[in-house]
Order: sequence, then structure tokens, then C-alpha cells
Amino acid sequence: MSAVKIRFEQVRKEFVTRGAGGRPAGRFTALEDITLDVHAGEFLALVGPSGCGKSTLLDLLGGLTTPTSGHILLDGRPIGGPGRDRGIVFQQYALFPWRTAAQNVEFGLDIAGLKAKERRDVTYHFLDLVGLSGFADRYPHELSGGMKQRVAIARSLAYDPEVLLMDEPFAALDAQTRETLQGELLRIWRATGKTIVFITHGIDEAVVLGQRVAVMTSRPGRIKEVIEIPEVLRSEAEDIRALPEFGQVRHEIWSLLREEVQKAQQSAGSVAALRVDREVKEVAHV
Amino acid sequence: MSSLETLTLLEMAHGRPEQLSGASGPSPLVKGVRTAVRGLSAFGHRSLLLIALLALWEAAPRFGLIDPVFLPPFSEVIAAGWQLAQTGELYDDVSASLLRALSGFLISVALIVPLGLAIGWYSRLGNLLNQFIEICRNTAPLALLPVFILLLGIGELSKITMVIYSCAWPLLLNTIAAVKQVDPLLIKSARTMGASPQQLFRKVILPAALPTIFVGIRLASASAMLVLVASEMVGAKAGLGYLIINSQYSFLIPQMYFGILGITVIGLVFNAVLEALERRFMRWKPVAAA
Repeated sequence: MSAVKIRFEQVRKEFVTRGAGGRPAGRFTALEDITLDVHAGEFLALVGPSGCGKSTLLDLLGGLTTPTSGHILLDGRPIGGPGRDRGIVFQQYALFPWRTAAQNVEFGLDIAGLKAKERRDVTYHFLDLVGLSGFADRYPHELSGGMKQRVAIARSLAYDPEVLLMDEPFAALDAQTRETLQGELLRIWRATGKTIVFITHGIDEAVVLGQRVAVMTSRPGRIKEVIEIPEVLRSEAEDIRALPEFGQVRHEIWSLLREEVQKAQQSAGSVAALRVDREVKEVAHV
Repeated sequence: MSSLETLTLLEMAHGRPEQLSGASGPSPLVKGVRTAVRGLSAFGHRSLLLIALLALWEAAPRFGLIDPVFLPPFSEVIAAGWQLAQTGELYDDVSASLLRALSGFLISVALIVPLGLAIGWYSRLGNLLNQFIEICRNTAPLALLPVFILLLGIGELSKITMVIYSCAWPLLLNTIAAVKQVDPLLIKSARTMGASPQQLFRKVILPAALPTIFVGIRLASASAMLVLVASEMVGAKAGLGYLIINSQYSFLIPQMYFGILGITVIGLVFNAVLEALERRFMRWKPVAAA
């Protein structure tokens, strides 16, 4: 196994909840005791019901917030803030509407202070990589959802981060576009060798993409189990969704999530349990 | 018309158009006339209501439907304007009004937009100034007209200050709102790419805020004209507002109507310039279905 790229050490994140009048009312634990290693060049999928703290985990990795306790180490050093060694792809694309596709891709390079001429070559290389070389001068509103997400992926790759963090990037796309982009992402991952942390609430998506799938619990979010995806499911040629192994792994993850629901039903009140139940159904349904 | 002119020039240089274009297709003359007719009919189509209203304005006083003393026919209004133009009085009034409106408006934009950006960006500054802004913007600028005249006299200073003051509030409020409305996700996205606070402001906040700032600029331009005319009516020796009120006092009614038309034309030109600027700066905006 290759070197550890990202290490979570008993990471805990609490938020202060606000009651009437904006006064602090209590503390809410979003993440608890997250301990996990992500290896260099690995594709790790994180799956869990919505509200399990997946996005909080991503904000921590991105350096936008800091853990209440515990450490997150990138290459052995604690994460001190945002940086171009990590690229984030958001579900809602987050493209700058006043910049064309090419100008969006070069944003990170622009921030880094590269000259226009140097930016140009990199920009066109990555637009080409995501299959959008013919759309360089289009504004985001002239692109479809799938194309926007391709631009966002190219933008995150352009400044050459070592880690790519993806927060449910394909959740807003239609099923067909999603499947195409999943294939494209695997191709790009193989071509670039980036470490990818991919957050999703779709079990199928996690199994299709991840080398390992980390299943999270809900409220507070913990890592319940990390499942190795069998090598046969990483084949490029076959329709892996049709393989029996796919069904087995899928069922394994589904059962883990279902256990979560039952636990929640026993401990929590019926209203909260119903809510969790609905969420897990949502998850299991995909 | 210009195509017809070029055509005659071409004819003079090369002889008849038939020899130029050869036997195939209609001659350039026919083409030119066709384009001219098409353009004219398109203009006519859009301006049908306007033409009808002007015709009514011309006809109603002439046929005694309305007292021509109070509403002279359109042609008489234009004739009065022609006379004003020939004496040079019109030039004096228009230039005085334009100078006041433009300088007040531009000074206001130059001062207030940066202030609004700062207030929107630094929420502490906003908290500090919020109450003061609320009081000022709810005091109608025209109510302060006597105060400005008392303090600054009836010269240019009081009028330009009035324009600056009246432009300030729509500009300030829209600029503050523009900065506050910037999509937090775009800021988050730029921060994850390592943008410094200055870069964030220059490359994200400013372009994202521009459309809403422009709303403020358009509102301010309308407000500038309103307040300018009112202040010129109260105390001035030149300007379109002065022309209107002075003509009314002297019972030069056609001249008064011409002054009103002048205000309309300046307003339209102002608006057209701002629209062109807006189109230039906001090419990235999706165009609403026409």
C-alpha cells in the first residue's frame, strides 16, 4: 500500500446552536471520532445519509473550518487553511458566471499569479481533458449542467492539486449524464493519478467509483466501516453494474446503512426516527 | 439614405449600377430602397403609438377640442424651440442643466459606490452607519432643498450638491445590497483556490456585485433629473427647469412645453448611454427572452 496522503486522527467537530435571540443554546456534534487514512493516489468514496456531516468533513479538509479536537494531516502536516494543494468540486458547480469556460478554468492560475500566456496552454489542456475544447468561450449560462460540472472539474485540476475533494458533484445531474461523468472521472483519475475523496449519498455511485467506500453514521457522523471494493469491479472494460460482486458489495453497504436506521429508531423519538428512516430510504433508493 | 448617397457616388465613379452588378439579381438601387423602406416600416411599427399621440397633440388644439392657449399644437412648440435655439438661449439652458446633472451624478457615483462597497464588505462599518443611513434616506431630498439653498446659496454649488445627495441613496443602498448578495458559494470556491482577501474582492465580489450596482446607477440617474429640475425651478438663472417655470410665468406656453420635451430627451439619452454601458459590462448575463 502506498504512502498515507490524508490522515484523520480522532477528529471531532462541534457547532454552537443558536436559540431565540441568537444566544448560544447548546452544542451540536457534527462529527465524532473520525479516524481514517487516505492513501496517495487512492479514490475514496464517502457515503452516508444526508446530515451525517459529510460536507463538514469536506470543509475541514478544504481548510475552511478547523476541527474542535483531533487533527487532519496532509502529507503529515496539519491543515492550516485553504490552499491550492487541494481542489474542491461542489455540487452546485460554483462557476463564476461572468467568466467564460476558459476563464473559469484559469481562475486558480490567475490567483496563483501566472501570466496570461502561461495560463492559456494549461487551460486548453484541461478543457480538452474534460472534452470541452470547443466551448472555451461560452459563458456558464450557455452550458448544460453536465458541461458546467466538467468545467468545474477542469478548473480544480488546472492548478494541479494533489488531492481532489468532490462534494456530491453529480447529484444535480440526470442519470445518463451522471453515468457518463462517472466514467470520465475514472478516466481522468487514472490519467492524472490524483488522490480523490468523493462524497456521495448514492450507494451505486460509491461502489462504481471508489477503491474503498467509507460508510458514515448519522448524527453525529462517525466512520462506521470502510469497505474494500473487489478488484474485479475496477475493470475498465466490463459493465461492472451487471457483475454479481457489484450486487454483493451494494447489499453490504445498504445493510450497514439500514442498521443505522434501526439503531436510531430504538434510541431516538419516533419523529426523529421517521426522519432518519426517510433519509436512509432516499439513500438506499438510488 | 446613406446607402443611396454612396450609390450616387459609385455611379459617378463607375457609371450606371447595372454595369456594376451585371445582369443577375436586383440592382443596388432597388436593394437600397428596399432596405430603407424596411427600416422605416420597422421604426414606424414600434413608434405607432408615439406617432398617433403626436398627431393627436397637433390635431386636438387645431380642431378646438382643447384650448390652444393651454395646449398649443406640437408644431408650434417645435417652432418656439427653434426660435430658442436661434437666440442661443436653448444652448445656455441645456448646457447648464447637463453640466449640473452630469457633474452631480458622476461625483456621486465616484464617491458613493466605493463607500457602499466598503460598507457592504466590512459589516462593522455597516452597523456603525446603518442608523444614520436610514434617517437620511427617509428624508426626501426635495424637503431639504430650502436647507441647501440657505447654506450654499442659489448658485451652482447648492444644485450640484442636491443632485449628489439625491443620487447617493439609491447608489449606496444598492451597492451595499450588491456586496451582501454575492453567492457565498462563489466566495467559498475562490477561497479554496487560495484567493487572498484583495483578490477575492477584485475578482469575485466586484464582478458579482456589478449588476445590482447598475440598478442603483439607473435609479440614481432618474433621481438626478427629478431633483435637478425642481431645484432649477426654485432658484436659477439658467437651466431647463428655469426655462419651464420662467416660460409659464411669462405665459410663453409653447416654450414651456419645449422645455418639458427637452427634459424628456435628456432623460432618454442618459438612459440609452447607461443601457449601452450595462450591455458592454454584462455580456455574460443571460439575455431575457425579448
